[in-house]
Parts: sequence; C-alpha cells; structure tokens
Amino acid sequence: MLRKTIALSLLSASLIATNASAAEKLTVSTWGGSFKDLIDKAIGQEFTKQTGVEVEYVTGGTIDRLNKAKLAGSAESDVTFTTSHVGWLYTTDGLFEELDMSKIPNASHLVDQARLSPSHIGVWGYVYTIGYRPDMVPEDITFDSWNDLWSPELEGTIALPDWDPSHIIAVSAKLSGTDAEHWEKGQDKLKALVPNIKAFYTNDANSQQLISTGETPVQLLLSMNAYHMMDEGVDIKLAMPEEGAVLGIDAMGINKGTDQADLAYQFMNIALSPEVQARISEINRGSPVVDNAHVDPEIAKLPGMLTTPEQWAATLDTDAKLRAEKTAEWRKWFSENIMVQ
Amino acid sequence: MTQRPAFVPWFVLPSVLTALGLMVAMLTVLQYSIRAHIPGSLDVGGYTLDNFQDLYKSIYINAFITTAWLSVKTAFFGLLLSYPLAYALVQTRSGWMKSTILIIAITPLFLGEVVRTYSWIIVLGNSGFINSVLLAIGLIDEPLQMMFTQTGVVLALVHVTMPIMLLMLATGLSHIDPAYRRAATSLGAGPVRAFLTITLPLSLPGIVASLTTAFAWTFSAFATPQLIGGGKVSTVATLVYQLGFSSLNFPFAAALSIVGLILTVVLLAVFKWMTNSLQSVGAR
Repeated sequence: MLRKTIALSLLSASLIATNASAAEKLTVSTWGGSFKDLIDKAIGQEFTKQTGVEVEYVTGGTIDRLNKAKLAGSAESDVTFTTSHVGWLYTTDGLFEELDMSKIPNASHLVDQARLSPSHIGVWGYVYTIGYRPDMVPEDITFDSWNDLWSPELEGTIALPDWDPSHIIAVSAKLSGTDAEHWEKGQDKLKALVPNIKAFYTNDANSQQLISTGETPVQLLLSMNAYHMMDEGVDIKLAMPEEGAVLGIDAMGINKGTDQADLAYQFMNIALSPEVQARISEINRGSPVVDNAHVDPEIAKLPGMLTTPEQWAATLDTDAKLRAEKTAEWRKWFSENIMVQ
Repeated sequence: MTQRPAFVPWFVLPSVLTALGLMVAMLTVLQYSIRAHIPGSLDVGGYTLDNFQDLYKSIYINAFITTAWLSVKTAFFGLLLSYPLAYALVQTRSGWMKSTILIIAITPLFLGEVVRTYSWIIVLGNSGFINSVLLAIGLIDEPLQMMFTQTGVVLALVHVTMPIMLLMLATGLSHIDPAYRRAATSLGAGPVRAFLTITLPLSLPGIVASLTTAFAWTFSAFATPQLIGGGKVSTVATLVYQLGFSSLNFPFAAALSIVGLILTVVLLAVFKWMTNSLQSVGAR
C-alpha cells in the first residue's frame, strides 16, 4: 500500500513538473515575414531543442513594436529584436534590462561593431548598398563608386527607403569628405541626387515589389533582402562601392520587467553560438557578429557578407546612438528637401 | 404619452463609451502637439507651441492642398462612376443583373485597402496591365508614368471608395417613389427629362452623403497615397506617418494631425453649406 502511495505521489509530482515545463514559453518580439522565419529556423527551434521551452513570436514593424513597448508599461515580450539605433531608444527609455554579459558567454566573441550598448547587442550584420537589375540599367554603369548613383543616365530610376534616410545621408557625407556626424556638409550632394530618385519605398515588401517589377531598377537595398529576392528568382546584383557599403546591425535585448530573464539569456547565448550564426548566414545571408563562426566559403565570398575584421572595418559605420539622436532631424530635413522636390 | 423603453440607454452605452475613448485619444494627441520633442527619446519635454511654427513651410501647405484636391477629385470621379452603376442596380428587374452588379461592387470591400493598393501597383506600373495593353496595341511608344503620380493615387482611391459610394447612392435612389417618375412620363416628359427633373434632384441626399463620405475617407487615406504615391505624393496622413512614426517626432506629427483635423472639419462644413444650398434648390 505504502509503495503504491509513493508511486502515485511520484507520478503526480512528475506530471505537475511536466505540465509546468510545457506551460513555460519565451515570448520574442520581432519583425514579420522572412525575418521572423529566420529567427525561428536559426535560433528559436534550436532554443526549444536545448531547453524544451516553446518560443512564441509577437510580430510588427520596428517603430510599432517600440511604441507598444513604451505604452504597455510592462514587458509584453521577453526578448526583442530590433535595429541597432532603435535599440538605443529602448535603452534610453528604460525598456531594456541592462545585460549581465557573464550570462552570455558566447558574446565574448562579438565583433566591436556589435557591442552596441549596455542593454543591447548585435545578432547579425548586413549592409545597405546599391542593388540593381543588370538588364535594366545602362551597361557602362558599374557602381564601383557611390558616385555612380548620381550619374545622369540613372535619371528617374532609383528608390530609397522612406523611413530612414541615415544610409544615403552617410553616403552623401562620405562623398563630401566628412561623416554622418557632420552630415550638413553632404546636404548639397544629396540634393543633387533628386532627379535620379523615382520613389521612396515604405517597407521591405514594397522595396521587393518595386525592384522585381522593374519599376525602380536601382535601389539602396538591404543585402539580406536582395539575397531573399535572388532566391525567389529575381535577377538582382549587389554592388560594393569602393567607399564601403553602409553597415547595418540588427540587435536583441531583454525587455525590462520580464520574469523569464534566465531563459532570455539562454536564448541570446544560443543566438550567438558559432553554429547558429553560421546557420543565419546560410538562411538569409546575415553576417555573423561573432568572430568564431564558420561560414561556408561560397557564402562568405558573396557581396555584402562580412566575415573578416577587414570587411567589417571597410563599411560605412554610423554610430547607432548618433543615429538614434539624429533620426528626427535627418528625417524632417529629408522630407522637406529631398522627398518634396 | 408613449414611454421610452427601459433598455434604450443600454443600447446607446457602447457608442458613448467608444466616443469617450476616442475623445481621450484625441486629447492625448492635442497634448502631444504642445510638448517639445526630445531627440533620441520617446519621452516628450515641456509645453511649447514651436511644433506649429514649421507648419507654414511650403511642404506642409502643399500637403494640405494636395490632400484636399485628391479628396475632391476622388469624390467627384467616384460619383461619376458609382451613380450609373447604382442607378442600374436599382432600376434593373433582372435578379441576375442585380447580383452581378452587387458582387462586382462589393467584392473589393473584402480585400482591404492594402491588398487592393498592391494590386493597383501591378496594374499601374511601367510593365503593368494598362501600359502593356497600350504598348501592345501601339497607342503609346513608351510606358505612361502612372505610379508615383497624383493620377495613379486618384485612380486607386476611386476604386477604394467606390463600393461605399455605390451602396449609399443605391440606398438613396431606392427610396424614390417610382410613381413620381411615372407621373412625369405620363405628362409627356421623356426619359432624360424625367431623370433630370425627378430622379436626380430626389437622389441628392444620397449624392451628398456619398460625396461627404468619400471626401472624408480620402482625406484620411494613408496606405494608398503612401504606396502608390511612393513618397512623391505627400498628403497630411503620409507626412504624419513619416514625421511621427519614422522619425519619432511625435509632438510635430501630433501638431500636423491637429491642423489636419481642423482643416477637415472646416472643409466638411463648407461642403455641407454648399450642398444644403444645392438640396434646397433640388427640393423646389
């Protein structure tokens, strides 16, 4: 009788434990579409395999999710993926926990450019560069230099992102002999680009549609999106201008007030493991932000992939905090002087 | 004296609560419009009227003019296209024809504005349906530029607003007693005269309601001007998005929204005054 009672008690206890584990989940805030798929395939599934904890995704645009986090007042997700400069807004508004780096051992291999703030770190890198339809631009345009974008032969062909002018502002500043911090010197250069600008795209889907239909055969394009479209069969080439492509880093942080901090740290550590970083490069051609990931040589040699310190150093890297502080000023000037022309 | 049923206030309650919620939201926007923007932060600073000072710049004045002009054109062309369809819908005795018109008219409502707008990008593009057909039959040598133009935006907006306009017009037309038209015909009026002197004046309430709705709807339209306009057609709504959501300058975007709201109310009041005069003429 006693043996039966003990056995039943143990069974009950194990069932309760199993239920508790099954009920546990980690909520991750991310973009939708191919980026959510990337996070799930490369990081989420590996996290579930290692911990037994399911990952639930909350998707939305970068700024929408930032606003929701600000308005909610409490953590509605445990881990948030965002872009590097918007991560600074989460940080300065107290929406991210300060990271205890000892709980993310894989972060010791982070490249310098991905050490963003005390509260957010990079998860993959990419570049914004010139993407074009080779069959729809004049043959003599090589895009060896950003200056080629200003060629009169490209009149009415270019599309730029409408939500963030920081990339083209950094390029104009560079071509004017300065950097994004002293962007005013590049204003005239940027104004001279206006005749070549045909449209401004609103989001990744809009960018993909405009270049795939040939409506805007030249774009300032996110390299990962370009490779995604190439996989879909769109004939696109990525140029690597001699002045350097514009560096972009997507980042992750732990939401303030989360009661799943330990799991969140585990998730981030897994995201930075060499295997997962290599997988990210395989799936979406995101560059590893750690220096110990082994990237397939065929992928490593693709334009826009950053796998050596020299390649990282050759990019146009605008400080994420400066971008966060200057975004409003840049965007307003861009609206008033470039978009309305 | 008839007594009001006791449950009536409960029926009104949801509307009252919704209106209160909307008022609180509008007051929050108003409050944001008079606060200072802090670069690099979502928090706002102290009270200021600086946000309204930049609104005199040509970009913002042009956006207000463009928005109003787009709204007028959309309402006008929407009416031109919807009225004959609504008339046919009400007049036809064929159930098959009624169903066909209704299905064609209402189906777009199930697709949502964004999907419809993306479809228009495919239709209006340089290698889109319209240009392909015109090039194939030799009417043009080079594609017509319809994307990123006001013409393209109006075309798509007319399609977006047409189903609602058609339903409102059909409702107005169906309330006209056919005996009036029969009386006019029996007194010697031809079909055109009967339409111009009986049907058209009596359908003015439907026309006014559909024009007002189309105008107000277009004034606040976002997805269509944003996607078809491609940043080259700036409206109040697209600027609020660009300056508020993209650049996180919520106080300035709020100021723009407040002025846009005031302008909408003023324009609708003017429109109401004009149509009241028209209706009183029609009633005679």
